[in-house]
Amino acid sequence: MKPFRLIGSFMRASFQEEAAYRTNFLISLFTSLLNLVTAVLGILVLYGQIDSLHGWTLASTLALLGVFLVVSAVRGLFISPSFDSLSGMDGEIWSGAFDFTVLRPVNTQFFASFRKWRLFALFDLLLGIGVLTAGVIQLGVTLSIWKILFFLAMLVVGMTILYAILLIFAALIFWSPGVLFTWVFDGLFQMARYPTNIYPGWLRMVLTWIVPVGVITTFPARALTDSITPVELIVSLLLAVVLLAAASILFRVGLRKYASASS
Amino acid sequence: MRRETFVSSRGGWALIRSTWLSWMQYRSFFFILAFGWMIPPLIYLLVWSTAAGEGSISGMTRGAFVAYYLILILVNQITYAQTNWTVGDLIRYGQINKVLLRPIPPLYDALSSEIAGKVVYLVFVVPILVILAFVLKPELDLTLINGLSFLPALIFAWALRFFWGYWLALLAFWATRADALLALQDSLVFLLAGQVAPVALLPGALKTLAVILPFRYMVAFPVEVITGQLTRSEMLTGFAIQCAWMIAAVILYALLWRFGLKRYSAVGG
Repeated sequence: MKPFRLIGSFMRASFQEEAAYRTNFLISLFTSLLNLVTAVLGILVLYGQIDSLHGWTLASTLALLGVFLVVSAVRGLFISPSFDSLSGMDGEIWSGAFDFTVLRPVNTQFFASFRKWRLFALFDLLLGIGVLTAGVIQLGVTLSIWKILFFLAMLVVGMTILYAILLIFAALIFWSPGVLFTWVFDGLFQMARYPTNIYPGWLRMVLTWIVPVGVITTFPARALTDSITPVELIVSLLLAVVLLAAASILFRVGLRKYASASS
Repeated sequence: MRRETFVSSRGGWALIRSTWLSWMQYRSFFFILAFGWMIPPLIYLLVWSTAAGEGSISGMTRGAFVAYYLILILVNQITYAQTNWTVGDLIRYGQINKVLLRPIPPLYDALSSEIAGKVVYLVFVVPILVILAFVLKPELDLTLINGLSFLPALIFAWALRFFWGYWLALLAFWATRADALLALQDSLVFLLAGQVAPVALLPGALKTLAVILPFRYMVAFPVEVITGQLTRSEMLTGFAIQCAWMIAAVILYALLWRFGLKRYSAVGG
């Protein structure tokens, strides 16, 4: 139970830190709503001109946007804040403060992944669930409990893959401090707002298997609005396990390479 | 007076050169930024060209969408004024003191990072656009008049976006959190300046807003000019509205700078 207790206290500490800046709350609120409105309007403009795009309709694309927003919210809740304090600009690797992190009596990967929380992201999560629900209602299908469970399973698989990729990018900083690898990923992740099958073949391959952002959003959305084959489920599950293992190993190797900032 | 302008432009040039050199040191950082800016228009390039398929949407074929968006990426990169974000910070943290003490107008400071930035970004963006053009095969009917009108439209677009962002950033003299407005501006540019869709494809109300508000004239207008989407009269009205907004932005900049500076007394001073 110790990990959960620790996560609880990380959350509390982060909340206290954040609560000190109250105007930021209003600005975050504003930015979140703005992002939501632009994203939804973007899809409305597109489907104002066409009825469907490679099998995707307004309703299913909205559901996909909902999945994208939910996944982004979870990322913004703890994955990004935690990794940013490690490898972002002015992160611990740059400043050398990582020395103290390594010294703590907990697993470093666990600590580096869960230590910072941005509880405002819960609001983003609600917005995402709202868009997802709106999309599903628009779609007008009845969802069986199995379909919902299947969807949730795919969502967890997707988020595991996202976590593993971000851990890999964060770990790369041990070899090349100064290059903001996560920013490159951010760009590619934006592509996950739209279904992968609308991209040209070579890009679809990259987005499904090399930087699998498609598996993170398109697969769960398809599990809900359309259907997904058992093969796709097993392959993405395997992908998640392999990526998570690879990322953890990479992080451990990188950790051994770390030699403080001044040397 | 004449000597002064000479000194000031020479000083300005030295500043531009040194800023550029220091920026080139951080190439990879700026390449990554440029990459990030390129992605949203690139997504819509792919979305719309897939949507057009073999046919056309409102008269635009797949190749026309590709040409439109590739030029838009270039124009967006040239007109994007990242100085707007930094000027606010300079004011908030009091670092603008350093700029104010120099014997040349502070505008040079912003201009020097503008020019330095543009060169570094374009070194990255232009080769990528060339590669994309080979892969995606744009179709563009370039007429002489459209090509010639593109240049002034582009320069005005840059000036408008620069001064518009600058006056917004100067609000930092009054409110410590003007960044939210810049985020709003970026969203409006995304929606109304031809990124999410060419302005001609926007639904009624959004389209009217796009034509009236300044944002279209920061990015989309030069692109529409060169790709020949506009009739002669639309082009002339466009130039008139663009110039009007540009003049308004310069006036706002000058006023806010004057009054803001009177109000300013450094942080902790």
